[in-house]
Amino acid sequence: MDGFLDLLSLPAVQRSAIGLLIAAVGLPIVGVFIIGLDIIAVRFAMMHVALLGIAVGLLAGLDPMLCGLAACALAGAGVAPLARRPTGLPGAMGLLMTFAIAAALLVLSVSGVNATGAFELLWGSILATREIDLIVLGALTVVVHVLFWRWRRQLALLLFDREVALCSGVAAGPLLLALLVVVAVAIGASIRLTGALLVDALTILPALGARNLGRSLRSMVLWAVALGVVGNTAGFAVALLIDQPPGPVLVLVAGTLTLLTYLIPEGARDAIDPGRRADRGGDPVPAGQRVWQR
Amino acid sequence: MTAAITFTTVTCRYGRRTAVDAVDLDVAAGEHVALTGANGSGKTTLLRAALGLHPTTGGTVTVGGESARSGVEWARRRRDVAWVPQRLAPGRFPLLVDELLDSGGHPDAAREAAGQLDVGGLGHRPLHTLSGGQLQRVFLARALGAVTAGARALFADEPTAALDFDGQEQVATLLAKLPVTVIVVSHDRAMTRACDRVAEMAAGKLRVI
Repeated sequence: MDGFLDLLSLPAVQRSAIGLLIAAVGLPIVGVFIIGLDIIAVRFAMMHVALLGIAVGLLAGLDPMLCGLAACALAGAGVAPLARRPTGLPGAMGLLMTFAIAAALLVLSVSGVNATGAFELLWGSILATREIDLIVLGALTVVVHVLFWRWRRQLALLLFDREVALCSGVAAGPLLLALLVVVAVAIGASIRLTGALLVDALTILPALGARNLGRSLRSMVLWAVALGVVGNTAGFAVALLIDQPPGPVLVLVAGTLTLLTYLIPEGARDAIDPGRRADRGGDPVPAGQRVWQR
Repeated sequence: MTAAITFTTVTCRYGRRTAVDAVDLDVAAGEHVALTGANGSGKTTLLRAALGLHPTTGGTVTVGGESARSGVEWARRRRDVAWVPQRLAPGRFPLLVDELLDSGGHPDAAREAAGQLDVGGLGHRPLHTLSGGQLQRVFLARALGAVTAGARALFADEPTAALDFDGQEQVATLLAKLPVTVIVVSHDRAMTRACDRVAEMAAGKLRVI
């Protein structure tokens, strides 16, 4: 226990803990978007797109990470029109992934930069979290929350069915575009900040658990954040206690939490749903407005 | 408020196949028209084209004399025309009945209509837990809410397909009372009887009125 407290007193460990908590509040919502859009392969796609951006940055003498994030944003925006194609966004992610890795390797070859070196620029670790990383994570979390809470009704309709959303006055195209750009940049930045393995634990796993528990987009988001906070806190604490790398331990703890959600019976899910509320009838509509009774 | 709807040589294709072939149809303001025809004859595509959900390769559709080309105009069209889809989306993501009812633009009216359609107590249920008939009634209640919110017409695509006989009569009676222009795709006799006019489509063409 003394060793655990000693570790917690280290500034690097404190920054990691803060980073994980910030990530747990924001990234699970990105995970909910990812599951709603059916683009679980987005992490692999964005990893390769970011690599392409880094390669272009190195070739052009620009900040490689900024170029990587810009490439992610452009790629997110670029796949939006493919959502209406029969293969949809999952197909677009596969196309993007293979296209980006091939282009990245070609650019790296042209620029004479070692591919492994470029990958290392992309590969972060939660234990190497810097103050600037915390600021970036915090900004990402704010953007994700603003996107969700400001447009949650529209997002619920869009993720349910695009045509129902369109016929409900939702600007489905721009909203989908914004969603894809935010998801792409969040994933690209998170890979740099936390490492590729942890991105899945921070985004997809809480969202998968929330998909099992939530009955609406709002309740899914609340569940995802709750699972993210519990999983990150417990996983990080366990990693420190057993003195093992936090990445794999966090993934195993988050994965176990997610597995447990599959065991909760349907009836119990209804009872514990945070979005559950009593049925309410509408207020009486004045007779003059009750237009379906002429 | 109600609006005349005019289809002028509307043509739609799926790849090389022509699904709607130069259809002309005038529907007067407040008129109720039933659209019948065999499966695949182009009825659903015609309505979807009028809402901008399927691209036209020729012709125009006007509602209240207004055509739609830009995104803003299509958004206005979708506010002007309430819609009950044929392919009732169970959704790939959870959505509560109340959330769908609210999306029509007049939550109170939609909830009251849901009560009249015997789906009033399901507000907190996710749509994917409803039966086909309940889902159809909820979409209909949402459309009635949209009409109360100001929609000048209603397109209903087989709104009674999943309902029992009593439900078919109930919905036909309800739609017959609507003081807006209605185009309803239906094979249901109760529904076609309740309309002012019946139009038949075959192989993409409007054959009989």
